[in-house]
Amino acid sequence: MKELLKQKEISILAIILLIGAVLSFVSPVFLTIGNFLDIIEGNVVLGILAIGMTLIIITSDIDVSVAAVTTAVAVSIGYLFTYLPDSWISVLLLFLIAPVIGLVMGLVNGLLVSIIEIPAIVVTLGTLNIIAGIVLYITNGNYINSTSFPKSFMEFANYELLGIPILIYLLAIVAIGTWYILKHTLIGRSVLAIGGNTQSSVRVGIDYKKVKLFVFAYMGVLAGIAAIAQTAYTKAVDPNGMLGLELTVIAAVVLGGANIHGGRGSVHGTLLGVLLLAIMQNGMILARIDTYWQNVVTGAIIVIAVSYDHISYKRSQDKLAKIEVEA
Amino acid sequence: MSDYILQMKNISKTFPGVKALDNVELEVKKGEVHALIGENGAGKSTLIKILAGIHKPDPGAKFYFEGEEAKINKPIDATLKGVSIIYQDLSLFPNLSVAENIYIGQDSNKKPWKKINWKNIKKTAERALEELEVDIDPNTTVERLSIAQQQLVEIARALAFEAKLIVMDEPTSALSSSEVEKLYRVVDKLSSRGISIIFISHKLKELFRVSDRFTVLRDGKYVGSYQTEEIDESKLINLMVGRDVSYEKNEKEVETGETIFQISNFSKQGNFKDISFSLKKGEVLGITGLVGSGRTELAQAIFGVNKPDSGELKIYGNDVQIRSSADAVKKGVAYIPEARQTQGLVLEQSIINNISLPILNRMRNKLKLIDRKSEVQLAEQYIKSLDVRPALPDLPASKLSGGNQQKVVIGKWLSAQPKILIIDEPTNGIDIGAKTEIHKLLRRLANDGIGVIMISSELPEILAVSDRVLVMRQGRISGELGIKEATQEKIMSYALNSGNKDESSEVLNEPNQVSQGV
Repeated sequence: MKELLKQKEISILAIILLIGAVLSFVSPVFLTIGNFLDIIEGNVVLGILAIGMTLIIITSDIDVSVAAVTTAVAVSIGYLFTYLPDSWISVLLLFLIAPVIGLVMGLVNGLLVSIIEIPAIVVTLGTLNIIAGIVLYITNGNYINSTSFPKSFMEFANYELLGIPILIYLLAIVAIGTWYILKHTLIGRSVLAIGGNTQSSVRVGIDYKKVKLFVFAYMGVLAGIAAIAQTAYTKAVDPNGMLGLELTVIAAVVLGGANIHGGRGSVHGTLLGVLLLAIMQNGMILARIDTYWQNVVTGAIIVIAVSYDHISYKRSQDKLAKIEVEA
Repeated sequence: MSDYILQMKNISKTFPGVKALDNVELEVKKGEVHALIGENGAGKSTLIKILAGIHKPDPGAKFYFEGEEAKINKPIDATLKGVSIIYQDLSLFPNLSVAENIYIGQDSNKKPWKKINWKNIKKTAERALEELEVDIDPNTTVERLSIAQQQLVEIARALAFEAKLIVMDEPTSALSSSEVEKLYRVVDKLSSRGISIIFISHKLKELFRVSDRFTVLRDGKYVGSYQTEEIDESKLINLMVGRDVSYEKNEKEVETGETIFQISNFSKQGNFKDISFSLKKGEVLGITGLVGSGRTELAQAIFGVNKPDSGELKIYGNDVQIRSSADAVKKGVAYIPEARQTQGLVLEQSIINNISLPILNRMRNKLKLIDRKSEVQLAEQYIKSLDVRPALPDLPASKLSGGNQQKVVIGKWLSAQPKILIIDEPTNGIDIGAKTEIHKLLRRLANDGIGVIMISSELPEILAVSDRVLVMRQGRISGELGIKEATQEKIMSYALNSGNKDESSEVLNEPNQVSQGV
């Protein structure tokens, strides 16, 4: 299985290299460090959300409300800016408040999924609409632009360490932290366990409801962090800016080798999935392909990746069935 | 100190509508292999789930571990008392490593943020595997192991938990004969080390091979506990089936007509082998056997959902090929599956809509729309002839009792006017009065000229309804009995292959290629 995962990740890496090679011929700009950092910085939000989504997908659930939650937190940040004094403490405070707002929304999703046992797709479709509706009501769909942002936040947004934008460090921290949770803590192993076999987990005494609650709550926290990243990157709050982003998030996770039926998925795989999507988008922009066609290509890749995943899942199920039938 | 590792007393369990266990007891001595025996539905699994803390027994139940009273409310309670249960379908995580699978659960009491101690996990796993003297790499993921290896991982997990009592639920059902031998040796070794084992199996030979004592359950009741050496197979079968027969046995000689249905040499890899039988007009053919003997797979093969590898099928003497279930219906075969609620009915829909479902295309008026009037007529006709109560055609099927739901399912298939009706466990989960009604109904259908094949685990039911009985075992027909000669004991001995030295069991004594081929 580990080898299989490796193979899958290596094949993603191969595709990335292939596309990269093609792109470096199409555009000389592509193979520059500057372009590369731009690509990554531009996809920090996608990356953070995809890492959170990885845990949810490992437990064989899904959360389609992530973009709405992130937008809601971003809007809250925008309004908070008028109350926060212009100082570094405010920026630090933001890193406390935003995740908590996200956490609350994640907990709502998680409670509905784990305690009332409503399918996650239904719950999160519902919360998606509720949150998006409230956000539009409050903002009227209007931008909050950077003129109302405190200077300290703008400094944070533009800060670079060793020539690398701060947001990239943020992604790295989230990635390493989540990797640690998944690999080295009991809760992380429980996430993998209930994704692998829920019934077995009940029998060995894992409280799968708590685990489900955790993954949705954690997704909420990461949505809060992603909202800060989004605000810092776009230097504005756009209530419509992340419309449909949840699909790209899910796509990145699935492209990264996670199984939509649960049990399989990794942080580094998901990062590769994000990178693949990012490079494709970047390449299509550099190659001046029309935006509409960019969507078509992205959509096609998602469908192919999920079909591939599902076909191999069905094959493995067929194999299982043969063992079970004992005549 | 008590001689007994476990004593369970006054164990009853009532599920809605059914008393699954009625005042059962179970006592297991230290270091013994204790077999738990009973037919399908005798209550073995329920008893084990109560021991495991998955089901709660009715009030009054008492548990003693090593003579001391204890409470079992949830799985961890049992684990802490040293009980490890190896379920038939295993409780492993295919995506995790062998080492993690062995260790998992040991720390389910700890804080979720606690760091995993990989070294400890590996050491524990290696020690447990070593104790079992098996050569499995603790780093491989479980999905790469064979079923036999996976079972050993489960046993290793029990050892790592320092289990004092290991329950094995049909541990040999998915193993080849050489793997089974190895498992016996593991069982011997564990018991020689003072670990008690509860061994559940349908294979009598196996029980005589491994067990020191055994407990027999029948219809949710405690029959008794015995020393294995004191008893032989025929006595054991007597204990298992020696019930007061709850229905009158079908004794009437029926006049059978022409052969309406015949299959020959039906085989499917891993399902069943060389099945041939015929069905005459006016006859009810009962097919029985233990769960997993291939009965349902055979029925599904006839119905076209589980295509056989080879074999011929004749209806009224004509060769027929059945390609799909829709094809089967067209050619006059109806199949009523066991899971009535999920596979047989659209629960939220009315009786009318359920009954007319298979023949909607015949219910259309000139405009090719569904003609409500003829639909209602049809439903009323079947409600009357099958005596569905309450006789309200608009009632959703979900509001009916189990027996009446089954009548609607039968009505639904009768509306398609089948020549052959196959019905799987027709009275599963239905109360006793309604059972008799369904039995009468099946007999009446046969008298009306429909060939009825009834699959059932309930021997009294088989004896009450059938004219002829086929017994299946491990994918083959292990015996055929006319109703006059059929008794529960005879059927059971065919189903279990208890070593009758007649011709039919010779066939059975061949190594079971079917299961090994899988």
